[in-house]
Amino acid sequence: MAESILFYGFAAMILIAGLMVVISRNLFHAALWLALSLFGVAGIYVLLSSYFVAGIQVLIYIGAVVVLTIFVINMTREITGDMNAPRKTAVVPALLASALTAALIISAMLKTDWASRMSRAPASGADNTELIGRLLLTDFVVPFEAVSMLLLAALIGAVVIVSKDTGEKE
Amino acid sequence: MITLMHYTVLSALLFSIGIFGVITRKNAITILMSLELIFNAVNINMVAFSKFVAPSAAQGELFALFIIAVAAAESVLALAIILAIYRRRRVVNADEMRLMRN
Repeated sequence: MAESILFYGFAAMILIAGLMVVISRNLFHAALWLALSLFGVAGIYVLLSSYFVAGIQVLIYIGAVVVLTIFVINMTREITGDMNAPRKTAVVPALLASALTAALIISAMLKTDWASRMSRAPASGADNTELIGRLLLTDFVVPFEAVSMLLLAALIGAVVIVSKDTGEKE
Repeated sequence: MITLMHYTVLSALLFSIGIFGVITRKNAITILMSLELIFNAVNINMVAFSKFVAPSAAQGELFALFIIAVAAAESVLALAIILAIYRRRRVVNADEMRLMRN
């Protein structure tokens, strides 16, 4: 019962905040709604008892990505106004495309026979952070290292891309 | 009782909201924020399937962690490019970035 209340609360939070991200004309408000939506997703992870992913979601997405987005929004000047209005001619095709996508995914979900694929054991509430840590340093050590190289490359790339312009001006 | 269906329907709805944003918005930063919504829809699916189909293994959650890391790298680079274009051309709207078009 408590699970249902929490799930529907988080789901409503995610969807309403996501909708506000998409339709809000003020970029700064959109970024704050995005933070709320991502927080709801973290709540869904807690509900699925994957606490490590929930913590990473809050740290990386809300703590890093949204804050970085707000920095960039503040550095560009067209935060609000008609410049940010949605493209009028694109609204109907976009509604059609997104509704069809949702209908396709949901109908595919309804037609699939999940009962035979489900695990027999019910999802336990146990914390599996230890298992994730062990897998990251045994079976998944190569992708783990590859991701660290990717993050380093992104860091250096971002510095080079942004600093190039000022260097030429001076 | 919340089943796998609930989580996948939530994820499909969030995914379609993200698609709506990517198509309708002009501002490149908002398009990027809509992309974050799409990444999160995918991640909800990953974790939900991991919990319901193979609860003793954690592969789905590891996939979600890698998606978060790659999405962070992607958004850092995209924001850097948007900022560089803005400094040079005073433009943040995606349909005004037409340097390559005559």
